[in-house]
Amino acid sequence: MSGRGLIARLLGIIPLLLGISLVLFAVVHLAPGGPLDVYADNPSVTPEALARIAKAYGLDLPWPEQYGLWLRSMLTGDWGYSIRTGRPVLQEIVERLGPTLELGAVAMTIAFVAAVALGVIAAFEEGRRIDRVIVAVTLGGLSIPVFWLGLVLQYVLSVRLGWLPSAGLETIGGSSFADRAAHLVMPAAVLAFATGAGWTRYLRAGMITALRQDYIRTAYAKGLSTQTVLLRHALRNAIVPAISIIALDLAGLVSGAVITEAVFAWPGVGSLFVESMDGRDYPVLMGVLMMGSLAVILANIIADLAQAALDPRLRNG
Amino acid sequence: MPPGGLDAITGAWSRRGALAAIVASTLPGCSPVHRRDDNTLVVGLTYDLDTLNVYSTGFLGDVQAAVVEGLIAPDQQARYVPVLALEVPTLANGGIVVAPDGQSMTITYQLRRGVRWHDGAPFTAADVAFTWAAVRNPAFIAESKDGSDVIVAVDTPDPYTVICRYDRVAPTFAATMFTFGILPKHLLDGVDLNTAGYNERPIGTGPFRVTAFKRGQYVLTERNPYYWRRDAAGRQLPYIDRLIFKIIPNSNTLLTQLRSGELDLVTQTPYDQAKQMGALPGVELVRSAVLSWQHLDFNFKNPTLRDPAVRRAIAHAIDRDALVRVNGGFQRPIKSVVVPTFDFYDPATPDYPFNPAKARAILDAAGYRVQRDGVRAKGDARLAYRFVCQAGKGDDELAQQVILAQLSAIGIAASADNKTGVSYRQARYKGDYDLNYSTWVTGADPVYSRFFSTKGSNNGQGYANPAMDRILTRMESTLDPAERRRAAFAMQQLLAVDLPTIPLTSGAAVASKRTRLRDYTPNPTNMTAFVSCAGWRLQA
Repeated sequence: MSGRGLIARLLGIIPLLLGISLVLFAVVHLAPGGPLDVYADNPSVTPEALARIAKAYGLDLPWPEQYGLWLRSMLTGDWGYSIRTGRPVLQEIVERLGPTLELGAVAMTIAFVAAVALGVIAAFEEGRRIDRVIVAVTLGGLSIPVFWLGLVLQYVLSVRLGWLPSAGLETIGGSSFADRAAHLVMPAAVLAFATGAGWTRYLRAGMITALRQDYIRTAYAKGLSTQTVLLRHALRNAIVPAISIIALDLAGLVSGAVITEAVFAWPGVGSLFVESMDGRDYPVLMGVLMMGSLAVILANIIADLAQAALDPRLRNG
Repeated sequence: MPPGGLDAITGAWSRRGALAAIVASTLPGCSPVHRRDDNTLVVGLTYDLDTLNVYSTGFLGDVQAAVVEGLIAPDQQARYVPVLALEVPTLANGGIVVAPDGQSMTITYQLRRGVRWHDGAPFTAADVAFTWAAVRNPAFIAESKDGSDVIVAVDTPDPYTVICRYDRVAPTFAATMFTFGILPKHLLDGVDLNTAGYNERPIGTGPFRVTAFKRGQYVLTERNPYYWRRDAAGRQLPYIDRLIFKIIPNSNTLLTQLRSGELDLVTQTPYDQAKQMGALPGVELVRSAVLSWQHLDFNFKNPTLRDPAVRRAIAHAIDRDALVRVNGGFQRPIKSVVVPTFDFYDPATPDYPFNPAKARAILDAAGYRVQRDGVRAKGDARLAYRFVCQAGKGDDELAQQVILAQLSAIGIAASADNKTGVSYRQARYKGDYDLNYSTWVTGADPVYSRFFSTKGSNNGQGYANPAMDRILTRMESTLDPAERRRAAFAMQQLLAVDLPTIPLTSGAAVASKRTRLRDYTPNPTNMTAFVSCAGWRLQA
């Protein structure tokens, strides 16, 4: 991609985000329920009081008008205020980004290293026992529900053995680096397993294709070591198609791992999203969704750039 | 996952687990992490706190009840007891004075002396007057401003006397503002309560003070060194040093944490998980009444439902025991909208025992015959109804299914038309239903005119009976307890005759706690159990 092409793509983000925001706003507002549902069983909250609260938040306006107001304030950098907490949306999200990035970065690093190692080994040993084991395990990673795996780990490692804390970010009032790390083990393992499984299969398939190419035979014939052939020649080609998948998963980092965070009471963006969904906290929902959309768009552009850097054929494409 | 699925799966693990645990215990640094024998109580909350301001939170104020105090509060029997006031004002003790014309009243509170805020500042009458002004302020977005609008002035002749001047006679004054909590004037005067830092770190006079609030994670509190309350032996309360509220929205994770000993108490156990919780070693269930009632409402705009025979038949068709069973067996069957916790409950309220044969006989006698399609009709009037309840509330939807089957058994066809959120509330207020199943949760002194008076704000049924209006007016404009009770009995008798609604069940709270927590006291009102947490103890 030339410099001019990149600028064009970056400029293209703006209409794309506008379109996405309109669709998301409509979906979020047309979903049944609303932020005032928490008052449903309380008879002392009168219809008048509800109308007053709705008016205070602008919930009494038709949604297109609400969208206009929201968009206008977004363009001036004001993300609005949470209906549930009365705090600025940006503050709510930034607070939760730390734990989400911490969990995501650790899990993705483990997933990436494991996926490259296992993908290469499985391809090299294709059809042998070790390959079959790797394929079976990754199938598990793809098909075992995250919440179930999380519960089983909690039960075995926390309830039965008492080795690890079952949930949360840290021990309240007595945190240390070791304590933070202990809390991170299970959620990071579950998330890495679920994410890395797909990557591994992708890389294995890419490597198997690459290893059948003529240039690999040539490289061996030149007398290069197996290690050099695998990593310098085959992997470099096998990783190109996997990059778009990995980049998209990385984009999901900022929106948080919803289920993993819920099971492990991890105070990240994913938990915030679920709570905001439950409470129909429109401004926060929109903030999280827009951030997630922007991340996906940027990840796509970065993936294209990375693929071009690795594969000369894709340049100026 | 099937019930016991995890246990079944991990059963095989347990032997290996035991072996691993023995091995593990010999390794350095691998001791179990959950042994807690300090004087810290860890509570699990299933909801993510929105704000710690008791007036603007959309949830019950569990944390707030341990931190802020009102002038009076409801006890375990939902009776009011003094807290920051020296006594509960009544006509008898002169705390309440009705104007000679009987149209207004004043309530005087004598305040406890020597009470301090968590920051050490003295608590005085100025704080009470400030609370009234702050809650009443139209700019403050609050869930309920109950009671602030009927007080026209608050006088403070001295630091320990508060005189509230009411523009009417308001017998339910206690279930309102000054019970929820008093706000500190010295910290909040001139501050916007919608965005105040107070909402994160409230300062109260209660037994515990907030030292940290990590959003989405926990609230950390420690004993208030200035706390005024002492036990019978003269020892300063609370007994517990630290009270931690952990936010764990996923109920499976909550169960795990109670199992592992990382939690001591969950005050609201989901019905479907309570039995599992109670079976855990070292955990016990505490079941207590809640001031809520589930009921089936009739819409009087529907001509066949205006027919008392149809309403009576439906009342006989419903098996309350089945409703209780379907929701885990924790609720109680009731026959009156006044739940039996209250003094105003009339045990002689007529009831309609489950008797489908009798229900069918009533409909036959009234001329509603079963047609070829199995549904009863009289001329053009078919007994087919649109049945609304709140979608997404599992307990309600289960109960609705049971009622649907029981109606069908007597030849009445009802179809579920469930709505969520705003549309459900609108349907309830406007009467956009034939039958409506729902729950009301009340404080310790419900205002029944909201439901049953012709102009009641929650009367979407179109139920109107001048005799009922008179009874409710009498009940809600007299301060004489005996007179109020008589009116309440009359209301219950008339409701049983008119049958605008069928009271079905009353809710229960199921707390799960570790046995080391002693003297735990549930509370049936919306003030939560934590209103009395100063007296709880932890066994070392």
